[in-house]
Amino acid sequence: MVKTNTVLQVENYSLAYDVKGGAVQVLNGIDLMIRRGEILGLVGESGSGKSSMASAIMRHLAGNARENDGSIWLGETDLRTQSEHQMSAIRGRRVSMVFQDPATSLNPTLRLGEQLAEVLIRHQNLTMAQAWAEGEARLAHVGLKTPREMMQRMPHEVSGGEKQRVVIATAFACNPELIIFDEPTTALDVITARQILDLFAALQQETGVASLYISHDLALLSQTADRVAVLQKGMIVEEGETGTLFRAPQHAYTQTLIAAAPQPERRLVQPLDRAAKPLVSVRDVTVNYGRKSLLDSLLRRDFAPVVGSRAVTLDLRPGEVLGIVGESGSGKSTLAKAMTGLNRFEGLIEFDGKPVRGLSDMDANYRRDVQIIFQHPDASLNPRQRISEILARPVKLYGKGDGSVRERIVAMLERVRLPASYIDRYPHELSGGEKQRIAIARAFLSNPRLVICDEITSALDVSVQASVIELLMELHRDTGAAYVFITHDINLVRQIAHRIAVMYRGDLVEIADAERIADADRAPYTRKLLEAVTPPASTHSA
Amino acid sequence: MSASYILKRIALIFYTLFVVSILVFGITQILPADAAVMMLGENATQGALAALRDQMGLNDPIWLQYLHWAGGVVQGDFGTSLRTGQTVGPALFSALGTSLTLAVLALALMLILAVPMGILAAVRRGKLSDLVVGFLSYIGVSLPEFVTATLAVVLVADLWGLLPPAGYIPLSEDFWGGMQRLILPVCVASVMMIAHVSRMVRSELVDVMHTDYIRAARLKGLTRRRVLFRHGLRNALLPTITIVALDVGYLLGGIIVVEEIFSIPGIGRSLMSAIQARDLPVIQAGVMIMAATYSIVNFAADLMYAWLDKRIQYD
Repeated sequence: MVKTNTVLQVENYSLAYDVKGGAVQVLNGIDLMIRRGEILGLVGESGSGKSSMASAIMRHLAGNARENDGSIWLGETDLRTQSEHQMSAIRGRRVSMVFQDPATSLNPTLRLGEQLAEVLIRHQNLTMAQAWAEGEARLAHVGLKTPREMMQRMPHEVSGGEKQRVVIATAFACNPELIIFDEPTTALDVITARQILDLFAALQQETGVASLYISHDLALLSQTADRVAVLQKGMIVEEGETGTLFRAPQHAYTQTLIAAAPQPERRLVQPLDRAAKPLVSVRDVTVNYGRKSLLDSLLRRDFAPVVGSRAVTLDLRPGEVLGIVGESGSGKSTLAKAMTGLNRFEGLIEFDGKPVRGLSDMDANYRRDVQIIFQHPDASLNPRQRISEILARPVKLYGKGDGSVRERIVAMLERVRLPASYIDRYPHELSGGEKQRIAIARAFLSNPRLVICDEITSALDVSVQASVIELLMELHRDTGAAYVFITHDINLVRQIAHRIAVMYRGDLVEIADAERIADADRAPYTRKLLEAVTPPASTHSA
Repeated sequence: MSASYILKRIALIFYTLFVVSILVFGITQILPADAAVMMLGENATQGALAALRDQMGLNDPIWLQYLHWAGGVVQGDFGTSLRTGQTVGPALFSALGTSLTLAVLALALMLILAVPMGILAAVRRGKLSDLVVGFLSYIGVSLPEFVTATLAVVLVADLWGLLPPAGYIPLSEDFWGGMQRLILPVCVASVMMIAHVSRMVRSELVDVMHTDYIRAARLKGLTRRRVLFRHGLRNALLPTITIVALDVGYLLGGIIVVEEIFSIPGIGRSLMSAIQARDLPVIQAGVMIMAATYSIVNFAADLMYAWLDKRIQYD
């Protein structure tokens, strides 16, 4: 190993935050090293300290941060001894960063060109005109077709993928020694994320920059990183060459993480009785957003509504798990909302043989039978109500069954594996996974026959997601309820769904058996979607 | 922002003024004042009063009276003052000019002081300068004009003799003399706005400085100055524009008090004396002019907002 090849060297670095009544340790004795041209993956769940590591390297720490005497070297520079003034000349020039969500990391009121050019002006001493021309070249280099127009655009005028390309162009602009990627594809659609990853790989190859790639996605790191460090509660529990680490994980936590990643081949759902009559028939359901304005009517202008979903037709048998996948804006959630009466729709939904054409047809029985669980439990649980109040609502509304309200709530808490003592707590006293269990309990308290799960695991960590899925499948076995499972995690849905519906821009592309979704004769869009998916980590061989 | 949006907004202004005109006309109908008595005096004979009422159209149905009045307003004819017998328009518009001088100076002073104060407090959050600005703002928002005006007159004018206590000279006649007499009224009219807007700028800027794009800008190695002024301030000032436009409504109210105390012949003072004298045409015209001013200011604020933040899509 040649010492001069080392770009980043972190030695025995610890970080804590002062809080009321003590300190919270977020990083503990971290040792990291990245060589030129190397990609180090840093994997960990939320709260593991991976973002704090990035902040520490960038020397952008909160006022209450307390560091030990560990060191952070960038090449020959001891970053911890740099003044803020010196650091500002290093940031963007020698070490730069790509952030998670391009929608929030770009200034909404400045042109994309200015946000790129300002880095060149600051660090390369270019004039505005030079920087603008250079910026155009850089945008062309990251695969943007119309760089000249792109420079003039505002962030809201371009797509998420295009925005992230601009952010990446900015990070690479001054040919830095190190780039920190902080979950750069998490906020993007599957296909867009794949394109961004390909771009990253190409630029990495070309420039030989050292990369610290932070992610919670093991599958993704198994394909992009040369080495992976596993961070748990502020400590690196395991580090090694990617292939070795995934083939033979040593630490128990690494093994848990790898096992928790969804494996399409490991089916978690019982086969279905295909002969049964459909429970739900969705016939030509169309949802339009927007309304004709008064002025439009007065001027007799044509009004073009935004199509949420277009003439969707599908059946769902009792006890069936139907997965719905597609990129954001494809109409997945729109359909779910139509089925629960949250959206107006045209067309017909038949539930258990009874026609439902709109909100007025959704009587108490329908509302009891059809439940929905949302993505963010924080938003779907009333923060001012205790768990007992939240869960009492469905019991009181649809209350048939034995025992008092409280007894039934306690029994349901037990079923979702939460302690009975939680009944008097408020949602904020629970963790994210626990809150989602409460939301699940609320849905199942009315003994529903159809449960719509709208991205219910996407805000959760991998290991928490695995346990929530396990719970859902157990409830599925016990209650026989049918599920509509909306997700963007294709590996996951292949594990738990009987059939998978693929949606694209409001249209239902096709419905296929989960086992056959990867077949060669699927629709072109389905194939494109599946190709973009990163295969799960343990199937990876170096 | 489309041309059709701008046209729609202008149409909305006229609609607003139409509603205001009905309200104003309605209120003046309820007021216990008889225009004929006002003009001829308490001792006029019944016959003379009846003849005048007939001549002024006061016996017509209310809707016809409204149409007469509104028709005149549309053509710029606000009627005749009951007190002076002169047409209302020219006098009021010259008073409006005086008030606008006062209002524009107060707004300018507010912007010059409030924005830097807010920035200073936000940048040095939790430090002494933040506390001082915060303390001054608290005092500012809790002092109504009649208190600050009285204090100013007593201290600055009477006790220390630094400035004349009252009066008005048009700036076109004697710029320095006019300015001397405007200093106190302008300061008084802007105190509460300064306090309000500086707090607004501070809290908006603090929020903006915690956003991801500000962190991204810092981590690009940009200078503090550029991060603050180019990335931060622009986004922080957007909501402030709306607040300033709303404050103009407050300013219009404050100016009535200020003009009265400092004897400035503006529209507020005209309105006050018209109300005391039950001079209905002047009241009606004055309120219409103020409503129009407020509508136009808010329209301008919306245009400015859309111009600064291209995401705003009005349609």
